[in-house]
Amino acid sequence: MRVAFVEAVDDALARDPKSLFITGDLGFNAFESLVVKYGARFINAGVAEQSMIGLAAGVALTGLRPWVYSIAPFATYRCVEQIRNDLCLHRLPVCVVGNGGGFTYGIMGPTHHALEDLAVLKALPNIQLFFPCASDQVAAAVGSIAALDGPSYLRLAVSAYDTACAPISENPLTLTRSYAKRSDAREPAATVIGAGHGVQVALRALAAHGLDRENVDVFGMTRFPFRLADDSALMASVLETKKVVFVEEHYAAGGMGESLRLALPSQVDFSLLSASYRPDQRYGSAAFHMHQTQLTPEVLVELVRARLSAP
Amino acid sequence: MTEVTRPEALARAALAIRRRFLGMHHQARSGHIGSGLSAIDLLTYLYAAWLQPIDQLILSKGHAASALYATLNHFGKLSDAELSTYYQDGTLLPAHPAPGGVAAIPAATGSLGHGLPIAVGMAHSYKHLRSSEARVACLLSDGECNEGSTWEAALFAAHHHLDNLTVLVDANGIQAFGRTEEVLALEPFAKKWEAFGFDVSECNGHDFAQIHAALGRPALSRPRCVIARTIKGRGVSFMENTVDWHYWPMSDAQYGQAIAELDQAERELFR
Repeated sequence: MRVAFVEAVDDALARDPKSLFITGDLGFNAFESLVVKYGARFINAGVAEQSMIGLAAGVALTGLRPWVYSIAPFATYRCVEQIRNDLCLHRLPVCVVGNGGGFTYGIMGPTHHALEDLAVLKALPNIQLFFPCASDQVAAAVGSIAALDGPSYLRLAVSAYDTACAPISENPLTLTRSYAKRSDAREPAATVIGAGHGVQVALRALAAHGLDRENVDVFGMTRFPFRLADDSALMASVLETKKVVFVEEHYAAGGMGESLRLALPSQVDFSLLSASYRPDQRYGSAAFHMHQTQLTPEVLVELVRARLSAP
Repeated sequence: MTEVTRPEALARAALAIRRRFLGMHHQARSGHIGSGLSAIDLLTYLYAAWLQPIDQLILSKGHAASALYATLNHFGKLSDAELSTYYQDGTLLPAHPAPGGVAAIPAATGSLGHGLPIAVGMAHSYKHLRSSEARVACLLSDGECNEGSTWEAALFAAHHHLDNLTVLVDANGIQAFGRTEEVLALEPFAKKWEAFGFDVSECNGHDFAQIHAALGRPALSRPRCVIARTIKGRGVSFMENTVDWHYWPMSDAQYGQAIAELDQAERELFR
């Protein structure tokens, strides 16, 4: 996803001479071409995330549009007050890019995981969150962000279940993707929704664990605040099936599932599959962590079947 | 020195601003009086003599917002009608600057350690991205030099040779819960800024000739830091150099005494 981001942001920088790129000393073996191509419009702020967000705000106050990059945990938690005060309160067109959401940086250890980033940021005023489903959606997210007049967060992540799977369609307004459609209109049926790359768990389940044999629609949502009024296909599915199974590579508290549950009619049967913190947890690859926290295609299929057979 | 930047003229302006400032705090029953009084002479100099129309000031010590409001009002950048809303329900002039409330205040501040990174970003943009001659001043408290983000930004400013940046520290030696040297010592303070790559000078922050000498000299090819040694509560004898007046509002009697002291200072100035 990072490669797709470099290509997309390169395009955005080329299109808008008022845009610039600021990194918190990360991006080795990724941003070298941008350094050469953009000169003074590429700034390394050093290992100083608080100052980096503040100076991006200062740059934006002079009429420019910075992209600010670090890995997801560093780009969010250390500097959340700078994001709130300096970016959100001033509604500045600054995009904070966090690479490696969820368990992407698995074996790097828990300091490098980002399982609360969306929770922290979604509470802030004026910011829009983008969390693409797959690498082939990063350019669309970057394009949407480049047109915003306020702050945003772009969560880049690589799933343990990365499955090359072309969507059936993509909503141009919300970037919500449809990945699978029910085989028939009869009940019982369910709507499986993934937040960003969390949908990869469902795609893997479709491809290899029998989810494709169930009567389900599968969507990937990519933006917060939600724009449900524009998400007609997703909303039609939810209102028809009245059963939602939501999957996200994020803690349940403050996650996207929690917000969507509140936004949907109360009669919708809503189940959530998300990550959890285990006091006895061990460390390994992203796939190891997904398995440890029971965020797997097998568990998803089990959950979907349980909801389908529930009254 | 021009007519308006003569020390006597500046002292007169600062007295008028102190009078307005105390009136605002008396009416609002609001605190942070000592922090404002220590900064008013510096703000007076900046607006009377230093800031050009394209320049920017970031008030990093946001708790001195009322001093900035009073100064902006004195120099015609904030109307009497707007100023009269200070600290009232529905105002755009709260105790710390709000975003978009006043055209002359580009950034909301109040959480310490935010102003210098913002000022550094502006200065960097003007110098290296926008080819602008604009200069940026950032008024810090000494207490907020406890914040790591202040020093992160200082590193960046020196590394990028931001000679269009002036850091002005209102060094009144008192922070929220005690004396700066007792809470978390900053001395040798000037040496710290020098070691970070700044062109450093010190002055008495209530002596306009000294402020002018420190802020008015030509820039070197690096950012500048002026450590203005000030007195918290300056101008009102019973508020000077105490932690208490970081917090307390004035009673009617205290306000009367404070104004009487300003009257006396004014008589001495015109004698």
